Amino acid sequence: MTPRTRSLVIGTLSAIAAGGLLYACRSTGPKPGLVTGDVASKVYVAPGQHDEYYAFLSGGFNGQVGVYGLPSGRLLKFLPVFSQNPENGWGYTEETKPMLMTSHGFVPWDDSHHPELSQSNGTPDGRWLFINGNNTPRIARIDLTTFETDEIIEIPNAGGGHASPFTTPDGKYVVSATRFSVPTGPNRDVPISTYAQNFKGNLSFVAANEPGKMRIAFQILMPGYNYDLGHAGKGPSDGWFFFTSYNSEQAYEKLEQNASKADKDYIAAVNYRNAEACVTSGKAKQTPARYAHNHVDPTSRVARHTMETSVTTLDPRDCPNTVFYLPTPKSPHGVDVDPTGQYIVAGGKLATVIPVHSFDKLQAAITAKKFDKEIDGIPVLNYESIVAGEVQNPGLGPLHTEFDGKGNAYTSMFISSEVVKWKLGTWEVLDRIPVYYSVGHIMIPGGDSKAPFGKYLVAMNKITKDRYLPTGPELAQSAQLIDISGDKMKMLLDFPTIGEPHYAQALPATLIKDKQVKFHQLAKSTHPHVVKAELETGISRQGKTVHVKMAAIRSHFAPDNIEGVQVGDTVLFHVTNIEQDWDILHGFAILGAENAELILQPGETRTFKWVPKTAQVYPFYCTDFCSALHQEMSGYVRVSPAGSNVPLVANISKKAATQAARAGVTVAQPAAAGAGEAR
Amino acid sequence: MNTRSRLLAAAASILLIGMFVWPIWRIDLTAPQYPEGLGMEIRIGTIAGLTPYDLDRINNLNHYIGMKAIEPEAIPELAVMPWLVGGLIAMGLLVAALGRRPMLYAWTTAFATVAIAGVADFWRWSYDYGHNLDFENAIIKVPGMSYQPPLIGTKQLLNFTATSWPGVGGSLAFLAMALAITAVVLAWRTRTARPVVAAALTLAACGGGKPRPIAYDEATCASCHMGITDRRFGAELVTSKGKVLSFDSIECLATFYVRHRDVARSVWVTDYARPGTLVPADSAHYVRGGETQSPMGVGIVAYADSGLAARAVARGGERLGWSEVVTLVEQTGAPHAALHLIERGVGASR
Repeated sequence: MTPRTRSLVIGTLSAIAAGGLLYACRSTGPKPGLVTGDVASKVYVAPGQHDEYYAFLSGGFNGQVGVYGLPSGRLLKFLPVFSQNPENGWGYTEETKPMLMTSHGFVPWDDSHHPELSQSNGTPDGRWLFINGNNTPRIARIDLTTFETDEIIEIPNAGGGHASPFTTPDGKYVVSATRFSVPTGPNRDVPISTYAQNFKGNLSFVAANEPGKMRIAFQILMPGYNYDLGHAGKGPSDGWFFFTSYNSEQAYEKLEQNASKADKDYIAAVNYRNAEACVTSGKAKQTPARYAHNHVDPTSRVARHTMETSVTTLDPRDCPNTVFYLPTPKSPHGVDVDPTGQYIVAGGKLATVIPVHSFDKLQAAITAKKFDKEIDGIPVLNYESIVAGEVQNPGLGPLHTEFDGKGNAYTSMFISSEVVKWKLGTWEVLDRIPVYYSVGHIMIPGGDSKAPFGKYLVAMNKITKDRYLPTGPELAQSAQLIDISGDKMKMLLDFPTIGEPHYAQALPATLIKDKQVKFHQLAKSTHPHVVKAELETGISRQGKTVHVKMAAIRSHFAPDNIEGVQVGDTVLFHVTNIEQDWDILHGFAILGAENAELILQPGETRTFKWVPKTAQVYPFYCTDFCSALHQEMSGYVRVSPAGSNVPLVANISKKAATQAARAGVTVAQPAAAGAGEAR
Repeated sequence: MNTRSRLLAAAASILLIGMFVWPIWRIDLTAPQYPEGLGMEIRIGTIAGLTPYDLDRINNLNHYIGMKAIEPEAIPELAVMPWLVGGLIAMGLLVAALGRRPMLYAWTTAFATVAIAGVADFWRWSYDYGHNLDFENAIIKVPGMSYQPPLIGTKQLLNFTATSWPGVGGSLAFLAMALAITAVVLAWRTRTARPVVAAALTLAACGGGKPRPIAYDEATCASCHMGITDRRFGAELVTSKGKVLSFDSIECLATFYVRHRDVARSVWVTDYARPGTLVPADSAHYVRGGETQSPMGVGIVAYADSGLAARAVARGGERLGWSEVVTLVEQTGAPHAALHLIERGVGASR
């Protein structure tokens, strides 16, 4: 071909090749980060070894708490709090049902958001874990020697108990603030459009230092904003509490747009010592309110439900110099106080900066009365007078900040899906690490206390997508463990979590692991239907109620044959696990029961309510694999038609029967041979 | 019109059919929380998501920033596009069949106009979507931020990386455009225009026939093999393969050119008024026989500026153009005479 034609062909082919090359090399966005180096050894806990930290992650929409070990990320316990747990009978047994009673009746589920470890002197002390119920506002207290929910108090005059529970450094109060304002004085039937006139929020200070005596010390009534999160001041700011709020627009419909219009919303700064003083000097009101207070008695392990009838409410107008509003951009979510107590960091989820208020400047501004205006008697401070600094260009969608105790702060970015490390005081961004995907809360052990334990950061994400093997449309939430011990953050582990962890708390395992209860001492039990030995088992009838006092021990129930129950009876099986040995639990289930099961801790008595509907024979058995002859640990109940004359018998021992007769309880001995042998 | 042009026109038209089959343009979106990615394609007559629900997903996400929903029905140009392209295909095939040059020029012009108008319109719509936001109801408001996707290439829009690129249909359309332009070039009557335009079209990495600075005091003349030292007379020839040959004088360049005309892509001479500066040989003004002695004794100098050449002629000498220089050298073989003189003088042959 001629040179001209040849150059034409070469030119065209080169153009195609160049185009193809440019197309193939086009950037399509950042690639997911790869983990390099020897991170496996940092998260591997060898067989037989223990994790360094207990981490308590809220269950979110499952209403419970997930207990994990760090650094392995292994799930250690699914701890029931606000939701019924059929697995061990929480909220099903007669002893635990009262825990879920509220002023609205029995509520079998809630949405648990924020775990908070109890503090003394500003640091976690390992006594209790508090957690909130967001839907029917409540605070629960969990005993960290038994990992069980011990006490729940309902919050009146409230909707959406979101800003809860957060503790004061001395452990005197935990707070609850309302996400949803409701008509107050009391909640009643009014048009929703009267929001601005009738709906109020409130900040509740709950005294929670004495088990069994949780009470609402006082509620501060607030303008109808959405109070989102809170944290206590410490050090210089000790005695103050800070709550973020959004929806200062006071929108009640289509909040997505209507609550996002204002450039700034407010952090409510509360001098709660002032509030206490006002209450003591009679400035507060006792208003009628109905709310539940439920508590598990420690020796009987039976829960008791009581109703309170009034609550102390305080209007900021009657108690000046107590509540102040700090303008904060923009629809702020998290408010976090650094370990020194000087800096108050806000995460304005639609803001492009992270604003940090200074406590010293706040005090100065209050003294100099640098107020922009007043809202319902609450002074609004001037933004420039109180801001210490703003972290510029941190990322998109800042939410929550935790601290490592070395002068660094870590903020989660929801929209840009990363955690950003920055320096307190200079406000410069030091490092950023992508997380997968769309992180909400982050947690550093002790990260919201006076002396963070540091070392790790857990990112709790809202979107999982491709992180693990897919399991249909509904996926576990994802969490990442990040090493923050060095200058640069390092990704260590990615682990799935149950429910939807919102926030978390962690403490060194050594603080509580040696205090764990291994079994309940039978001798000390004051349960009304406890059996402390097989001799004490028995069966009795009171009208249409049949009480069975049963013992469970490897590998049998005593009694295990019951006859004479009639259709129309309510049978209460009071089963005691009479083992006094570590990790020997027994279960109890009966055919067709409209109930869950019992899982009995050693030394524990639990009551199973059963209403048989048909005249037939029902097998029952132990559901927790307890011994080599676990399969043989079963029995039968014979149910006869109503009004039959089948005598009520159970194969209890002769001695037990005699004792029962002496006590005046009507029990018949089994007639058939082979039954009723003394064991 | 020559057969090549007709075939190219036909090929271009057939390639354009690709616009009806494959996407014309494509915008890919990735974000940290979208590892699977999303995107949309502009196809002839519509805009669609990369997967069936992508367009809905994109519109859902865009409500946060106040961007209006992308609805293909609201963009009238999309309805017109299939007719325009169809028309171009039909006309192109007609051009190939009838082989009339004016029709080819008209078709290519129409094609280029439609292409440029199409790209401009795409940019205009992207601007509109990206800038005319519902500020009143937008939930995420970043001061000064707009969300126009790039026309071509990559751009970061908040947490999304947007990559805009022609699709297969669009790339075929660009190729068809290139073929149509080539068809036009090949059909042009003027001979000299063709090599220059052909050279311009070729994207080979050879630098497109540009000269390189002469390595004075190092290089040797490709014709007489003497050292090139005088910066007022250096000349160059760039071959069709892109090789650059240096000469110590205009006459040596002309001598070489006479014998290797067909491989010469471009020829360059030094502007006597600006030593060290090369200018195209065929547009320079030559003065022969003046006071100057050129390296090979023929006495030819070159001026880029016609006025300067005229003044040199006034001082004594004749004015020549490039073709006359070439003819002169062809007929007299002057440098060769000089060479023979040297050889005889030295007594050795090369």
